[in-house]
Amino acid sequence: MTDRDCERLRAVADELALGILPGQERAEAIAHLDRCPACREHVEQLTLVADGLLSLLPDSEPPAGFETRVTDGLRLNRPARRRRPRAGVAVAAATAIALGFGFGGWAVGTAIEGTSAPSSPRSEPSGSEHELLEASLLTVDHRPVGRIFAYTGSPGWVYMSVDLGPGWSGSDSRPADESGSEDETAGSREAYPEAGEISCRLERTDGTSVHIGEFPLDDAGRGHWGAPTRVAPDTVSGARLLAADGSVLATAHFAAQQNR
Amino acid sequence: MIPRGTGGIRSARFAVSTGMRRLGLPLGRLSDEALLAGLATGAPEVALAFVRRFQRMVFGIAVAVVDDPQLAEDIAQQTFERAWRHAQVYDSRRGSVKTWLATIAHNLAIDAVRARNATPVSPEDLDALLGVVTRTPEQWALADDAASRIRAAVAGLPPQQARAVVMAGIYGMTARQISEFEGIPLGTAKTRIRTAMGKLRTVLGPERADHD
Repeated sequence: MTDRDCERLRAVADELALGILPGQERAEAIAHLDRCPACREHVEQLTLVADGLLSLLPDSEPPAGFETRVTDGLRLNRPARRRRPRAGVAVAAATAIALGFGFGGWAVGTAIEGTSAPSSPRSEPSGSEHELLEASLLTVDHRPVGRIFAYTGSPGWVYMSVDLGPGWSGSDSRPADESGSEDETAGSREAYPEAGEISCRLERTDGTSVHIGEFPLDDAGRGHWGAPTRVAPDTVSGARLLAADGSVLATAHFAAQQNR
Repeated sequence: MIPRGTGGIRSARFAVSTGMRRLGLPLGRLSDEALLAGLATGAPEVALAFVRRFQRMVFGIAVAVVDDPQLAEDIAQQTFERAWRHAQVYDSRRGSVKTWLATIAHNLAIDAVRARNATPVSPEDLDALLGVVTRTPEQWALADDAASRIRAAVAGLPPQQARAVVMAGIYGMTARQISEFEGIPLGTAKTRIRTAMGKLRTVLGPERADHD
């Protein structure tokens, strides 16, 4: 990569961001972006402008019956069909979460892990409302690496998407505090996942956490996973993702409940 | 750890949809990301809430680009189907759900226009659209969000630069198409696009357009 490469990229960066750069030039530009963070950042800024231009277009009411035609087109009211998204991981995730939802009340073990107590328990009425909690998954250096959703109703469930990037396996994580950790899960669960997998624990306001399962990430560090689990709205405080060696890959905190 | 079976899928959808409805989960108040996550589960009520929230934006983009309500409806429908198929790979770090969906709709509309004819826009349509995207009613002018700033910035561009950036950014016209449409050298078309984009970029500052 040379300054001349960057100059060439900058000359077409606007057209690239607007999506109007012809094929060969586009391929060359993207190849340069793969190895030049500065130019990538430059194009990302220009892409925000392109996105902003679209936001200037006025909303318009679609023809009557549009929403029905869309949902009919998705065949959501028919018996399940096998969806074939392009990404294999998407298929696995969709299947996992859909199947998971069907088994409400799936008993989660009570793997109690002694951890330092979180700052302040939330005071909320217990069991009076059910809602969807959501939070960003952040690395220890506060880099966002995904989102987690937790439904506090019955059946409750947790779903998350994770993108740790290549080489995620614990290199930028910190060891978890294992002091006094004890796994009381009903028999079969290991405390930490196999290599190539990550595990998820729901954290409670009293400092304990519960192990809810493991899932694999692909080579690029991406993955999606969902599982049925009881999510108590008055005690759940967040979640933690752990690598195979027990180090913390990411944490999430359900700071605010949006639907109250 | 997760039991498998098609009965599970059906009961899953039932559980999610009826659970949310029976327990009073207000779908209309969920965040865009939460609705998209729900859409991925295939729950009809969540899908309907998602479509209702975004259908006017999606159809607005499609009809502005293709100028054909029937084709625009097809594009809007494809947009939601694509969103449903790819909800699992949506990455919030790359932009909001709204921006993601707008980009899908726009790309589909541009593809449709390119497949249909060589000239994406008539001079009359371009002038009309320029009027729309630079119109600043009082309520928009007072809002200090990214869209308002870009709208004001586009309105403040020299007319030929505004035309170039709208032709490129909205109609997806290449620099060569713009040069032919305007009867100007290719280099001049590129310069107009670049100069306009540079000016618009300055009004966004360091923050993300969709995170205002």
